[in-house]
Amino acid sequence: MGRGDQRDSPAVMSPQRLIALVDCNNFYVSCERVFRPDLIGKPVAVLSNNDGCVVARSAEVKKLGIKMGVPLFQIQQLVNQHQIKLFSSNYALYADISMRVMVTLEEFAPNLEVYSIDEGFLDLTGVYPCVKDPIAYGQLIRKTVVRTTGIPVCVGLGPTKTLAKLANFAAKKWPQTGGVLDLSDPVRREKLMRIVPVGEVWGIGPRTAAKLNQLGIHTVGDLASQSGKRIQAQFNVVVARTVMELNGTPCLALEEIAPDKQQIVCSRSFSRRLTEYAELSQAMAEFCSRAAEKLRKQDSVTGCITIFIRTSPFNPDEPQYQRAASSKLNAATQDTRSLIATANQMLKELYRPGYNYQKCGVQLSHIQPEITPGQMDVFDLMVDGLSTENRHLMKAIDRINRRFPSAVSIAATGFDKSWKPKAERISQRYTTDWGELAGVKCL
Amino acid sequence: MLIMPTTVLYAASNPKTVNLPLFSGKVSAGFPSPADDYVEKTLDLNELLVQKPAATFFVRAQGESMRGAGIHPNDILVVDRSLEPVPGRIVICALNGELVVKRLKRRGGQWLLGSENPAYRDIILLEELEIVIWGVVTNVIHPL
Repeated sequence: MGRGDQRDSPAVMSPQRLIALVDCNNFYVSCERVFRPDLIGKPVAVLSNNDGCVVARSAEVKKLGIKMGVPLFQIQQLVNQHQIKLFSSNYALYADISMRVMVTLEEFAPNLEVYSIDEGFLDLTGVYPCVKDPIAYGQLIRKTVVRTTGIPVCVGLGPTKTLAKLANFAAKKWPQTGGVLDLSDPVRREKLMRIVPVGEVWGIGPRTAAKLNQLGIHTVGDLASQSGKRIQAQFNVVVARTVMELNGTPCLALEEIAPDKQQIVCSRSFSRRLTEYAELSQAMAEFCSRAAEKLRKQDSVTGCITIFIRTSPFNPDEPQYQRAASSKLNAATQDTRSLIATANQMLKELYRPGYNYQKCGVQLSHIQPEITPGQMDVFDLMVDGLSTENRHLMKAIDRINRRFPSAVSIAATGFDKSWKPKAERISQRYTTDWGELAGVKCL
Repeated sequence: MLIMPTTVLYAASNPKTVNLPLFSGKVSAGFPSPADDYVEKTLDLNELLVQKPAATFFVRAQGESMRGAGIHPNDILVVDRSLEPVPGRIVICALNGELVVKRLKRRGGQWLLGSENPAYRDIILLEELEIVIWGVVTNVIHPL
């Protein structure tokens, strides 16, 4: 490969940048298989909240033509016919295994960006054993992660994050790569880009892809050969940056510290239809509590709250109703009680009797970092006389709930939780609950 | 599962701003404790039982066949997946789709899985060791 020419040349002052994207294969399914070796080689799928849609598929399930996100009822026949093993999402397990994967990856490079629950970018620039043979280093990463955690991964390498992503896509798609692919070499890069559709590029969404197609840009190669100026004029700076990244010019740095979320959403489908205002109000209060907890975890406050309620779009015979409302808060807050009070005011406006509600949710936006305690008194009281903030109380509740889950909740969330989403096929919390450890037989 | 909140917080009916101190220092009087210099930390069992947290899993033993190795039914086994499976170690393996505890042995160029019970015969491994071995057992937690 030609890649070595440049790097080995003594004239080059700094080593060529090398980024690896390590991505877990069918992560949720792989997590389920760690403790269930009987499921290796069998069709397995994981369902979304409330067991509604397919969110993870084993290779066997993909082969059956089952697409990501399809509702369970649409594939029930295939499930029976091929005895597909279904699981409810077991987030406690997935989060624990994810942490193990990321900790293992940290051993391979000085910098790691945890990009999502199942992907991490490593900056391998100048990492000595890797400089000598990136493919062998990639294989070592694969071997170590699967041995340590039981999770198979693929490794994509390249001089930019976008190319590392593309390399990973190809490593997953073509087993001949052995799960590791390096796109540092421009010739090799060009060959691959000619056969990959432009929609597979990181950051190119379906809408942008459709617009690119209209302009005759179909493959990644087509996009890479565009002038940055033209793309920036017709699209935006993000797509223009992607073009540069595809040509090996780094525009995106590794973000080692996850940026705070700019939006927090908490919504669920109910296990049964809700008709009463009181029930909806309790569910909404619960979602407000969850969202506020997330907000406090990142030490932020929110300035705007949006709620929505709706009936089921899958039952067109029933009367349909869906509404959303937003409210800008007088003072940014992170207090569960303020959020619930505001959500309730809006819910009173939106609620209409006579409908079977299937889902509701809350979204927090205009999120900013919390201010220092000294500034807090400025806001003082809301209209109804409730203090807008009691940070000490809220933090105390969070601490208690971390030790004793669901021990303390705001009264508005109610006691009857029968609307809670279904998780009938959930596996054991093998790694987070002493009562649910995997059994091993002494045969 | 029924989850009952054990504590319910009601919104305050007559709220008042209360300023809590951000820190409180202890005013020392008299002699400092002579033990102060020796306070280091408390003992943490994790330190003793877990070398590599990312690779360490806990599993629960079922059955009698490993009693000879000190593994009783319901004991918790500490398993390190990153350790090299070498002959003589107790290992967790995936046999016929089940997780099983065995002692790894090497005889006549072959890998064997043995029980600590004369009633069981050694199993000859035909597959590659890497595929079968799930992890290496490092400790047994056995309540008395």
